[in-house]
Amino acid sequence: MAQFVAFIKGPMVWIAFGVFFAGLIIQGWRFFTMSRKKDLAYIPGTEKKKKKKKKKSKKAKAKPKKKKTIMERLQPLIAFADKRWDNLENSMFRIHPLVSVVTIIFHVFLFVIPIFLLAHNELFRSAFGFSLPSLSDQTTDMLTIIFLLCGGFFLYRRIFVRRVRAITTWWDFVMLAVTLTPFITGFMAFRQWGDYPTVMLAHIISGELMLILIPFTKLGHMIYFFLYRVLIGSEYSFGQGKRAW
Amino acid sequence: MSTQVNREQIKGMLKAHKPRMKRYLSHCMHCSLCAESCFLYMKNDKDPRYMPSYKVLNSLGKLYRKGGRVDRAFLEDIKEIVWKNCVLCKRCYCPVGVDIPAMIAFARSICRSQGVHPDEEQSWL
Amino acid sequence: MIVGERKPLEEIADLLKAYTKILNVGCGGCTSICLAGGQKEVAQLTRDLESHFGNQGANVRIHELTIERQCNADFFADLDGMVKSYDAIVSMACGAGVQFVADRYPDTPVFPALNTTFVGFDKDVGWYEENCRTCGDCVLGETGGICPVTRCAKSLFNGPCGGTRADGTCEVDKTIPCAWFEIHKRLKAQGRLDLIHKVRPAREWVNQTRRSVIQEPYKERYTK
Repeated sequence: MAQFVAFIKGPMVWIAFGVFFAGLIIQGWRFFTMSRKKDLAYIPGTEKKKKKKKKKSKKAKAKPKKKKTIMERLQPLIAFADKRWDNLENSMFRIHPLVSVVTIIFHVFLFVIPIFLLAHNELFRSAFGFSLPSLSDQTTDMLTIIFLLCGGFFLYRRIFVRRVRAITTWWDFVMLAVTLTPFITGFMAFRQWGDYPTVMLAHIISGELMLILIPFTKLGHMIYFFLYRVLIGSEYSFGQGKRAW
Repeated sequence: MSTQVNREQIKGMLKAHKPRMKRYLSHCMHCSLCAESCFLYMKNDKDPRYMPSYKVLNSLGKLYRKGGRVDRAFLEDIKEIVWKNCVLCKRCYCPVGVDIPAMIAFARSICRSQGVHPDEEQSWL
Repeated sequence: MIVGERKPLEEIADLLKAYTKILNVGCGGCTSICLAGGQKEVAQLTRDLESHFGNQGANVRIHELTIERQCNADFFADLDGMVKSYDAIVSMACGAGVQFVADRYPDTPVFPALNTTFVGFDKDVGWYEENCRTCGDCVLGETGGICPVTRCAKSLFNGPCGGTRADGTCEVDKTIPCAWFEIHKRLKAQGRLDLIHKVRPAREWVNQTRRSVIQEPYKERYTK
């Protein structure tokens, strides 16, 4: 048993992180092999040709400079802000305000809590000699409570909201459990609820399991979201969308 | 009309598109946020059976889960999902970026390969 | 597919100004695909109109519905039950759909929200190019799949005009390739160059040429 615990707390941590990073890189690379750069030259004869540089005419037309008013200067900024507001009004925030806000909080805290946790940073420092700045324990405690409430919201949705229930399978519950367990056990460990060594072991195992599962299950949307929504061209893409499936 | 389907042909088609299709199916978060983007869902009193994710998981999803070991009756069942309940207008929204129309179109091509398609009386397209 | 563009908001609002209960009907067919008249665009137009009429202090109620297609009687069950509650319909379908709806409900004014522009293909997201003028006498089988009506600036049917530039572009518009030069390349690659010698008789070209209008008071602006 002691050997198992030592393995879990030692080499297995490195293995889990290794699988996590390697898995994300491999899955990200596979995206590029599965998708293709868009070829827009469907009209024959309109393939891109090298543009010949035009000689600039020496005679420069003298244009009288007009002083811009403040409103005229601000116009591009106003147009930009207007467009952003329009996008917001047409986005998920309008159709699903609660889900949008909860999911953003959930995902931000999913990263912020483990990365800026004092205990994790101390382990990191002992391993690598440096660490990131840490939030106070009281802060991360509060963030964890909010995070778990968000997780509870998703669980509620899975069970009680008809449209979500219609497409829910047992695997969705497993994935939610895999995501929440590290935080529940971490919370319990910090407050010394239950048998501390057992709770800590459960925390480490569940964290390692989550890291290993991320690249190979739907949890991988942490990287796929950015790849697909920015790089793939569609009505809903955030970026230019120069790639296609 | 033969009641048999060519399972080897179906399996071949599923295998040829497996990397992308399985990727889409596994990335589906089962979040149901695609629902409102489908006008058929909105038009049919928000019936969950018209959600793009539902349509895909119960047509192509089932085909992959069964590994292509299906019969004609199964294809006739999904015929309604992929032809009547979807017009392939390609307006479905997915927060993750899954290509839902591609899956519906692929399910249609599998049905067509076995001679399962809307009849003249059924004006769905 | 059929491509359309939404009319300017002022024009649509002007058409609807006399009505207080309006039904905004979208189409799940071509206009949905070309991002002009689908469910999302119906919602956008409703918001724009409500804002426009709201600013004028007019009390207007606008409801929305999108049906599979507005050019086929099979999809009107929902709409049939709703129409009598409204005093006007604004349709976001193509011209064919607008007319079908107008014919189906002759007692209710039906207004188009789109200008149906052309038959074309998807070049990229939100970008559509015309390549068919629905001339009704398709010669694509003999021109290697390149349409001389839409691709040639002069819509010539029997070879190039002789003004093809050295780089293969059109003498009328140097941003487009000479269609007959491309037809020649295509037929040659397919080993069907003999078709280029086929003489096609004159057609009835009424309404076939691409039209353009510059109103009299504005002519000076474009002739420097």
